[in-house]
Amino acid sequence: MQCRTDLGLCVAFPPSPVTRSGTQKAAFVGSSWPAKMAAPAGKLARGWSVLALNLRTAVPRLPGLTQVRWSRYSPEYRDPQTDKEYYRKPLAELTEEEKCEQELRKTQLIKAAPAAKTSSVFEDPVISKFINMMMKGGNKVLARSLMTQTLEAVKRKQFEKYHAASAEEQATIERNPYTIFHQALKNCEPVIGLVPILRGGHFYQVPVPLPARRRRFLAMKWMLTECREKKHRRTLMPEKLSHELLEAFHNQGPVIKKKHDMHKMAEANRALAHYRWW
Amino acid sequence: MLNRVTRLVPRARQLDPGHFLHGGPQGPQGLAVHLDDQVPDESPRAGSRPSEDDPAGAGEQREGRHYRIPLQDLPTVFPHGLPRRFGLQVKTFNEACLMVRRPALELLRYLDGTNFAHPAVRYVLYGEKGTGKTLSLCHVIHFCAKRDWLGVHVPDAHQWVKSCRGLLRSAYSRQRFDQPVEASSWLKSFKTANERFLSQIKIQETYMWNKRESTEKGRPLGEVVEQGLTRVKNATDAVGIVLKELKSQSCSGAFRLLVAVDGANALWGRTTLKREDKSLMAPEELALVHSLRKMVRNDWHGGAVVLALSQTGSLFTPRMACLPQELLGKEGFDALDPFVPILVSNYSPKEFESCVQYYLENSWLQHEKAHTEEGKKELLFLSDANPGQLERLCAYL
Repeated sequence: MQCRTDLGLCVAFPPSPVTRSGTQKAAFVGSSWPAKMAAPAGKLARGWSVLALNLRTAVPRLPGLTQVRWSRYSPEYRDPQTDKEYYRKPLAELTEEEKCEQELRKTQLIKAAPAAKTSSVFEDPVISKFINMMMKGGNKVLARSLMTQTLEAVKRKQFEKYHAASAEEQATIERNPYTIFHQALKNCEPVIGLVPILRGGHFYQVPVPLPARRRRFLAMKWMLTECREKKHRRTLMPEKLSHELLEAFHNQGPVIKKKHDMHKMAEANRALAHYRWW
Repeated sequence: MLNRVTRLVPRARQLDPGHFLHGGPQGPQGLAVHLDDQVPDESPRAGSRPSEDDPAGAGEQREGRHYRIPLQDLPTVFPHGLPRRFGLQVKTFNEACLMVRRPALELLRYLDGTNFAHPAVRYVLYGEKGTGKTLSLCHVIHFCAKRDWLGVHVPDAHQWVKSCRGLLRSAYSRQRFDQPVEASSWLKSFKTANERFLSQIKIQETYMWNKRESTEKGRPLGEVVEQGLTRVKNATDAVGIVLKELKSQSCSGAFRLLVAVDGANALWGRTTLKREDKSLMAPEELALVHSLRKMVRNDWHGGAVVLALSQTGSLFTPRMACLPQELLGKEGFDALDPFVPILVSNYSPKEFESCVQYYLENSWLQHEKAHTEEGKKELLFLSDANPGQLERLCAYL
């Protein structure tokens, strides 16, 4: 339970389309994420304006709502721009807005770029997120090396299949580990999810549409859980993960089955759909 | 640009590995001559013939190009297997392509011009980690195998001085220790590689293995090898006998002997093996190391000795050590002195381009950005033109 009693804030996380400005996120402590959506918008607005000024005045506390996952940066900090092409554009080609933005960046405060974010052409945000989820104890070096070994294993397996296949089959075999990875995770994303909602003293599993980031998160989480827990102890992670990714790419395997189970449960509980109020 | 690059790197040629020595005025007719003495089922890949207007003096023209070792040669020339990552590459691509580089070319030139009446010259390949010392050694071994030399190849001398189970006190000499497992596996590879010589070479002394078994003078060397393989306890002694016989008989001129040792600094370094009283033993107390040390001395003629140093598997050496003096120590350097040092360095720009081109032709670089100029510049920056690092980078891209 993470309480910032000094700030004592209880800002609720809004459902989209009111997007977060990148500063404060709070949660209904002890419950799942969708209950963040429970607060009315009025309280939200007040909460945001208080925070924007970074005032540590007494703010009325809402019972049960505490703040988690906040950022040290106040809202005027802008995200860093790591795209090399942005800086390489010659002055003549810039439009008015871009010139204006570049002028602004000279005076505005910019957040520090995270260590893992580079201007490399080979960088992929999905892979970075997956590496972060695989990381344990802050050992990014190990997580990254496991990821690269996985990609290499996927590539080698596909090359083996390619060389063993006939000419017409060769055109269908995908050898790019990055396309396989992205497609596999996309195949594992559930379309609809279940959420426990409290009604009359009981929690009911209510089918609910999921935002895109939750779907991506669930796909990656299921993939990692499957590899970590359901496999033989002595097999190495790259081997397990490459096998699971290839199966998911072909819409087979335990992770796809888990997605289908989730869909079936949602279908079975469709009578409870009216419990959802957002 | 594309023409220049493709001329630099034609598709790999299944040619005689020593072909590149004899470039220049021979040109296409030279190529035909060398193709004649090829194994009949080799055929050059399409586009592998050098273009007609290759200038003369062109051993250096072949630098940066890949040449292919036929897959059926691999089990005989490299019976204990290739270096691990190269072996994976061979398995994935279904072909074994080595890049022809300056150190290997230099070494092949020296070997071609060896005077077999003079004592064996020792060549030492040294360099930073991942620059290609082991693969240059493999290139030389394949060259000599094609020229019908007898090859004594130790793939990694470091394996003989660490993590050995089953050490036995040697029956031949009470101070030394036998390593039956390592010796028998080496004998098996030796037998596979040099099958045809084992019946031709006859031993010159009688060797008593025990009260009941002995090998008489005049029997083929194959019997000594068989004895070592069947009676594992005698394997180390069999290795010692084989090396001794080869050394004494190479002077006769019946065959040319190539002694190739990778990780040669292990012979003069330290071990992590313990005696019965748990004290660490010195390498000279191992019978295998003792016989190999005798083999790399230059008191015989009729062949050559090629050694590659390696810090990677070595014990108690600092990570940044790569020079012969640092890795061999005073004892090793004095034992090997005089030798010809050959530095193996990172890829030149031409070689780097050739390597990336090879990967692109085999569709190994699958990332779409890797095909662009930006991607190539980034690969160069990340790997610093180090062959080992480049290979590891391209493996996951």
